[in-house]
Amino acid sequence: MRNRATTTLTNPKIRQSWSKYNLFNLTRMRTPQTSFRTHFQQKFKAKSIARAYHGEQVRESQWQRMFSSRIRSVIPMDPYNLAKDDGAGAAAGRGSGLGHQLDRTALSIQQAKQYIPFSQMTFAPLERRLDVAVFRALFASSTRQARQFVIHGAVTVNGQKMRYPGYLLNPGDLFQVDPERVMFATGAPKNRSERREGRALRKKKSEGEEATEAEAQAEEKDTAAAEESKEPAEEEAKDQPKEDPRKVLKGLMAQAKNIMSTSQDVLPAKRKQELRGFQRAVRRVLSRSGSSTVLTDNLESQFAELTQLLKAKRAEKKKDDRRGGNDRKDARSPKSEASDAQKQPDAPQAAAADKAQPGEALTEAFRQAAENPEQEPDTSELTDEEFDVLKRAMVQMRDNPIDHSKPYGTPWQPREFMSAFAFVPRYLEVNHSICAAVYLRHPVARPGASEVPSPFGEVVGTGAFAWYLRRR
Amino acid sequence: MPPRIHNQRVTNSLLPYLSSTSSTTASSPSISRLPSTSTASNGNSRTFSTTPAPQSRKWRTDMFQWLAKEGSELKSHVPGRTNYLTRLKERRLRGEEGANSKAALTHPFPLNPYFSAENILSEELRNEIHARVTGKNKKSVRAVSVELGVDMRRVAAVVRLVELEKRMKSQNKQLALPYARAVHEMVPTTPLYKDPEMQRKWAHESINDLPVHKLTNAQIFHPIPESRHFTRADAGRVFSAAPAQDHATAAAIAADPTAAVDRATQQPGRIERVGKGDFETQVLQPAEARIPHPHLVALERHRLAHPGEPRETNKYYNTRLQEQERLEGEQRAQAAAREEQNTNKVAPAASRFEFRFRDVEFSEQTVGHDGRGSRAPGRRYGVPSEDRKKGQVKIPTRVEV
Repeated sequence: MRNRATTTLTNPKIRQSWSKYNLFNLTRMRTPQTSFRTHFQQKFKAKSIARAYHGEQVRESQWQRMFSSRIRSVIPMDPYNLAKDDGAGAAAGRGSGLGHQLDRTALSIQQAKQYIPFSQMTFAPLERRLDVAVFRALFASSTRQARQFVIHGAVTVNGQKMRYPGYLLNPGDLFQVDPERVMFATGAPKNRSERREGRALRKKKSEGEEATEAEAQAEEKDTAAAEESKEPAEEEAKDQPKEDPRKVLKGLMAQAKNIMSTSQDVLPAKRKQELRGFQRAVRRVLSRSGSSTVLTDNLESQFAELTQLLKAKRAEKKKDDRRGGNDRKDARSPKSEASDAQKQPDAPQAAAADKAQPGEALTEAFRQAAENPEQEPDTSELTDEEFDVLKRAMVQMRDNPIDHSKPYGTPWQPREFMSAFAFVPRYLEVNHSICAAVYLRHPVARPGASEVPSPFGEVVGTGAFAWYLRRR
Repeated sequence: MPPRIHNQRVTNSLLPYLSSTSSTTASSPSISRLPSTSTASNGNSRTFSTTPAPQSRKWRTDMFQWLAKEGSELKSHVPGRTNYLTRLKERRLRGEEGANSKAALTHPFPLNPYFSAENILSEELRNEIHARVTGKNKKSVRAVSVELGVDMRRVAAVVRLVELEKRMKSQNKQLALPYARAVHEMVPTTPLYKDPEMQRKWAHESINDLPVHKLTNAQIFHPIPESRHFTRADAGRVFSAAPAQDHATAAAIAADPTAAVDRATQQPGRIERVGKGDFETQVLQPAEARIPHPHLVALERHRLAHPGEPRETNKYYNTRLQEQERLEGEQRAQAAAREEQNTNKVAPAASRFEFRFRDVEFSEQTVGHDGRGSRAPGRRYGVPSEDRKKGQVKIPTRVEV
């Protein structure tokens, strides 16, 4: 099918897409004029605007078959009210209830709250389609891309590969997209130098394929490199069984900060070198512990091991402060803890970036500790910020590595303008880390809200509904 | 040759959550530089020309200007807050107050006030749900749903997804962790509160949604005497065109409404039916029997009947919940046993397969008037396959797990 989903600026149409052109068109969009228009014109306009967004990839006749004038809606019930009365009050008197009479304004306010936006639900049947659901779950940057993922076999439904974008999900269906594709779809693209690196990598690979000998050599090299990285660690561990933990920690911190602070315009090769150096250092420290499981084990234990080996300790005062702050946050707002926790790094990031006071204080402490090590064995205290930086560098190393073989810019970052379109409708339950989602139920309307994500107001929704109702 | 401007990426560091914060500080100067130069060069090249620029180029210029100025705010996200277009619009109309209003933070589309971005489950809440359903002291999906204020279907889905996540982790499959982190920063999330009361107060969603029944769409004029006590249950009977209940039944139901609801919810097959042939339907039940958590109504009734006895009420609620779980378990076991009894399993010694035969009742209801109903066995017997004909839709309608 030819892609007609263009986002032109001269004839703007809103699409299911995260493109910046689409965003600009959204800012320009106005409610269509209804004055001096016939009813037919109003309906036609509404329908054509709405269809450019809702199921633009679906043929008109196909959509007309899907359209249903029956709209699903729910009313949230309060068990207390249900228990209190059996509904007889509503039918008492002359049939409209005997209760207290509301004045006109109060009544209109109540009615506005009770208002169910049925006309916004016109395109609810399309939300059942697999390609639309993949887009709604934030696994693709447009429905067209989601459709491509489905056709290319990157989507499974209930564990089986499903190649039909028009598959209508049933309540309870679990669909999953290949995480690699999702990272590609939602991640920032590669920049020039990253592309160049990728090309070089591919070239190297293809050359290797051509000449098997060369490959063998490269393998040898690789293994040698791997061994090197292990051997020196072991050797060091043998040669210097008692390395000063403070020095090691200091070096680690410096490297971690370097990693965290370097911007994208630093050459990727350099960054890679830095990262590798850090990785090697961590491995070297950990290898001293003697247990090989630590290297493969999860990050938390690795980190604990590292700090224990280095005799690093959190500054207790700060720790208490932080705990208090967390408690306050928990009590205060319904905001996510995760986001709160992730907001905190603002400070360490800034500190790491311009090497402000905490960094200097740390080096000072290190110097003191190095000068007279016997005096205080536990002076290698780290502030929370420094702890965070170290830990984050390790998380980074594991979860979001630099890898030029990937089709997206690494380390992964969300693509531009993604946040303007980021929402997950209620009829889906999404687990983003495995890129899987469950279609819980069909979308419904409820008082004051509709679950069908649509950029259009009531005029368009009602007009489109009336247009399709005509053909029934 | 004009000086080349190095295209600085807005986001600079490695971690998404660090990058986003730094980007907001770093973005504005670096972004605003780029498009302005491009527009300037456009302008320079056409200073001598009298031909008006085509409309498309004008829009393009406008777009890049907008992206450089106002739109630059939407370029990267701010952790812990949504970043929608409505925010810009509200700020333009009402200033900073508008930019922090609820509408600005929840409506992704400025023209549609009826669609709002709703919370998703935070990582901790999700894990808590999984732990409560599958952990040491297992709780039923129903109980967990009430405790945490999450819909039952969502609870079940969360358990499935967390199980899948665990399996993928154990298989060392690649996860999209930086992506998940970024999404959880962009979208509002419901946290896990330490205080269960708070969890219920700031519930994730309403758990007692009553689906609007098709029969209630009709507007019926139904005159009744003023002296009659006309309840929800009576209204349901009117909607489904069932005759009114006799006085004795009505009085019995009024005396013990909980028992009537229990009958309807525990034995849905025994609900009274009306109509003939294809039009036969169950009598529409009142709202307290059709909501997902009828036991909460029973709890409130008990609380109203026994004010000032919270411990008693709590006990009543727990025993009721356990009783219901036991009943549901029994029913499931019975259904499985019935299924087992009705299937005849044959496993030949030399075969890898087990054949399962089930007796079929051959009646017009089960196989249709011509014996070829869509669910009937032997539906296609003697009928040529049409799946190569034009217009045959072969998209599967369901995928069995």
